[in-house]
Amino acid sequence: MNPPRLELRRASKIYQTNGQKLEALRDVSLVLEPGTVTALVGRSGCGKTTLLNLAGAMDFPTSGEVLIDGRATSSLREEELTALRRTRIGFVFQFFQLLPALTVLENVELPLLLAGSPRAREAARDRLEWVELADKVNSFPYQLSGGQMQRVAMARALAHSPEILIADEPTGNLDNASGEQVLALLGDAAGRFGATVLVATHSAEAAAVAHTRIQLRDGRVIAVERA
Amino acid sequence: MRQLQLFRTLILRPLRRDLLRTALTIVSVALGVGVVIAIDLAGDAATGSFRSSLETLVGRTDLEIAANGGVDERWMAALTALPVNARFAPVIETQGVLDRTGSVTVYGVDFVSQRPEAEAAHPLPRDLNCAIVVSSGLARRLDVKAGDRLSLTLSDRRRTFEVAGLAEAKDAEFILLDIAAAQRGLNQYGKLDRIDVFVSPREDFSRVERQLRATLPASYRLEKPGTRSEENQRMLRAFRWNLRVLSYISLVVGAFLIYNTISVSVVRRRTEIGILRAVGASRRRVLWLFLGEALLFGLAGSVAGIVFGRAMAEGAVGLIADTVNSLYVSSRPAEVALHPSAVAAAIAAGVAVAVLSALAPAREAMQVAPVEAMGRGAHEHHSRMHARRNLCWGLTAAVIAAAVSQVRPVDGKPVAGYAATLLAVAAMAMAAPAVVTGLSAGTRSASRWLFGPEGLLAVRGLAASLARTSVVVGALATAIAMMASVGIMVGSFRETVLVWLNTQLRADLYIRPAGRASADEHPALSSDVAGVVSAVPGVEAVDDFHALEFKYEGQRATLGAGNAEIVRRYGRLRFLPGQDRGSILRSLEGRDRVIVSEPFANKHGVHANDVLNLPLGDRLVKVVVAGIYYEYSSERGFVIFDRSTLLKYLPNLPATNLAVYVRRGANPEEVRHAVEARLANYRVTVAPNRALRQNAVTIFDRTFAITYALEGVAIAVAMLGAANSLLAMVLDRRREFGLLRYLGAAPAQIRRMILLEAGFLGIAANLLGLALGFVLSLVLIYVINKQSFGWTIQFHPPLALLAGASTLVWMTTVLAGIYPARAAARLNPIEVIHEE
Repeated sequence: MNPPRLELRRASKIYQTNGQKLEALRDVSLVLEPGTVTALVGRSGCGKTTLLNLAGAMDFPTSGEVLIDGRATSSLREEELTALRRTRIGFVFQFFQLLPALTVLENVELPLLLAGSPRAREAARDRLEWVELADKVNSFPYQLSGGQMQRVAMARALAHSPEILIADEPTGNLDNASGEQVLALLGDAAGRFGATVLVATHSAEAAAVAHTRIQLRDGRVIAVERA
Repeated sequence: MRQLQLFRTLILRPLRRDLLRTALTIVSVALGVGVVIAIDLAGDAATGSFRSSLETLVGRTDLEIAANGGVDERWMAALTALPVNARFAPVIETQGVLDRTGSVTVYGVDFVSQRPEAEAAHPLPRDLNCAIVVSSGLARRLDVKAGDRLSLTLSDRRRTFEVAGLAEAKDAEFILLDIAAAQRGLNQYGKLDRIDVFVSPREDFSRVERQLRATLPASYRLEKPGTRSEENQRMLRAFRWNLRVLSYISLVVGAFLIYNTISVSVVRRRTEIGILRAVGASRRRVLWLFLGEALLFGLAGSVAGIVFGRAMAEGAVGLIADTVNSLYVSSRPAEVALHPSAVAAAIAAGVAVAVLSALAPAREAMQVAPVEAMGRGAHEHHSRMHARRNLCWGLTAAVIAAAVSQVRPVDGKPVAGYAATLLAVAAMAMAAPAVVTGLSAGTRSASRWLFGPEGLLAVRGLAASLARTSVVVGALATAIAMMASVGIMVGSFRETVLVWLNTQLRADLYIRPAGRASADEHPALSSDVAGVVSAVPGVEAVDDFHALEFKYEGQRATLGAGNAEIVRRYGRLRFLPGQDRGSILRSLEGRDRVIVSEPFANKHGVHANDVLNLPLGDRLVKVVVAGIYYEYSSERGFVIFDRSTLLKYLPNLPATNLAVYVRRGANPEEVRHAVEARLANYRVTVAPNRALRQNAVTIFDRTFAITYALEGVAIAVAMLGAANSLLAMVLDRRREFGLLRYLGAAPAQIRRMILLEAGFLGIAANLLGLALGFVLSLVLIYVINKQSFGWTIQFHPPLALLAGASTLVWMTTVLAGIYPARAAARLNPIEVIHEE
């Protein structure tokens, strides 16, 4: 039997700041399968972002494990982690995080360029078609609206066809219409591309798109609802 | 108090957190201030005092009587007979060479009538011809006392003297010789260098002055003491000013860096400034906060700069003193002294540069609106750069610079040339954003193709931080321009001198008295030396040259006389365009006609066929300028007669050097050995042509050693600035680097990106700097040098040297990126992405 795409096993994260301990995540266990959208809901400071960072192998649990295809992320070497981010994980941020000096096309192809892919430009154009921004390839981020920027960020996150898509409050900075477009794209990422999508959100609409809703409070999972 | 508290929180605390960058900024200012103060202190010490050290013994004179070619000693009787209450003292002043220690000032004085009061009780030495009196300072250094014997060379003769006594004269070092013995030793029979006049306090000074003017010939000069010192200082003015201006370049580079540092400070604190404004702080308060930061850098940098400068001055004194002695006038360096006025000036300069540089970014800070505090997410502020508009302003400044450079000198100073230089630098600084933008756009595809995503990100990054990168490029380019312009000027000058040496030095051997003489000293050869040399087998011709210091229209120059026919036959003297060498030289013999050097002509506004009134001895002689020739051994200027003419007016003028031409077919080396053997009893140097040329080139290279040092400091300041700015850039773009890690960039790729960006910065700076350097070299060669020194320099850019130097600077810029690159790669992506 294949191991789950993404699994957290009793993962906890404790931060030490000025001698004080902060338990950002306590004893969280999750299993996430391909082609699904999982929403993390909860108030600010409940541990959503920490969980996303652990799932994206940007950070590591203080105790417990985070496993991607059965391999613990904390056992991976730096080169393996870099390769993971290049090929298997994509990120979408609340504030878009586009590089202002690069054009839309260059922003989208960037992960592929970093990975040394020869088809970077072609793949980037495909993704821009998918998000319906093919006519903006030579524009700069400051020339776009918030919704357009987030769609470019989605295109970038999926440029390398990652298996895992991590989205942190992707609609937090958008109006309703733009937010709905982005949510549709998230659903598409799971349905069409088979990605395992994990999204942190305050938005009820975003939570409604998810197959599974996980409620967090004070770093713990207090409820899991399946749609 | 509130302002102080705000200053501490908003300014001091961040500076303490960012210690490395704070230190780099302070060191940059310190180096700039240090160099300025070093050149000033070293220049003051190297030019020392030109006052006669005899004053420490006999007291300050009231007047000095002097004449070109020497004062006829027969005037002493006439002066002594005048019905005035004044004392007249004949003086000869020269440099002798002591066996043990080298050069020493020697005064010939009348031992009989001019003995210091303190010595009056002691009997005179029996043989005044063999007796010397040594100053107490010199005696202490040499550990000699009365009765000891010392070997002293005057002109080309070495003699042993008995120390008849010591003269108490504080720390001054000199030797006294009886005047008759001095005249004999220097072949200066019947001539004095000057007559010192001491007017009694009970006498009417103006009456004495009037009587003297009425008695003496019109060609004689009656000067106040200190005139010589003032003249020498004036003569050195152009040299010192040019050094000073070069030293200011480091401060200019430092100014760019302060501007950059305060700009970074403003950008980083935009949110805090917005908050301050939102809670009621006035714009003026914000302005003063940032000017206060600049003031802090200026003060700290200036104080450190004073310490650096004092230390650097010790090293610079010797270099500057060397040049002064070789090219201008004899001078004994004094101790480097740091006066309160120099300290105050240094602090004022450092603070002024820092505060003025910070004005623009501080004004930008005071424009920050309170709404900046409301912005969610601390997005980096992109100040809009109007690259095209700035380019237009830059071109305007360039045109004005070209026009200004044509203005004539003011009081001998090439002020317009300096102003044109500053305008050219400003023009470059304004063009920098357009160049960076152009480079970024123009190399985007090539960079991506060559270096992959790192290359793309590096060129894009340059344009994205245009406000910052163009300032760094401007600073680097200024330092490179200085290096390039001075390099081209010195290289061109060197090539011009080498070509000139080829035309000027045509003899096989050159003979002069041994020992090192300054540019204003012309020790005499014994009268029989020329005859001895002429008799040596293999010698075809001997041209004996007679040189002496003279004054024309209040400025010092050298009067000389040689054999025009020999020069015409063997030499290749080059005259200004349109002047025929052969006919000019033929026209000199036996006639009141002269040739003058180009610097002399430029200084005095003299042209061919002009008539000069030359004071020679007792007479004012009208001479016609037959031609103007190129001359690079000294900017003091030469007026050259044919020997027959000058000796008519100044008979008994001794020869000061000989040019010896070897017969064709004879072995020059063998002839040299034969000449040396015949002159064994004379203290002379017999130098072959090759050695003399090499010596001339060595003196030339040594003259510019201090210039190269100044360039090095300017480059160092620019490098510090580049490292500082790259570090600031890394800190300000940390979110971008964090994002790249999320997107799959390896730490090595981040490092490579920063190094590429440093490399592109270096390329942009080199392009701008070399272009500006080329333009500045034209200003240096055709305006500043011409107006300061009067020389024509042929343009010969040392391309290989420039290529090497700019490559080195580029490599150093890349190296300056190493630490920032490592810092960028070590950033924690989680922390920086989620900063708000």
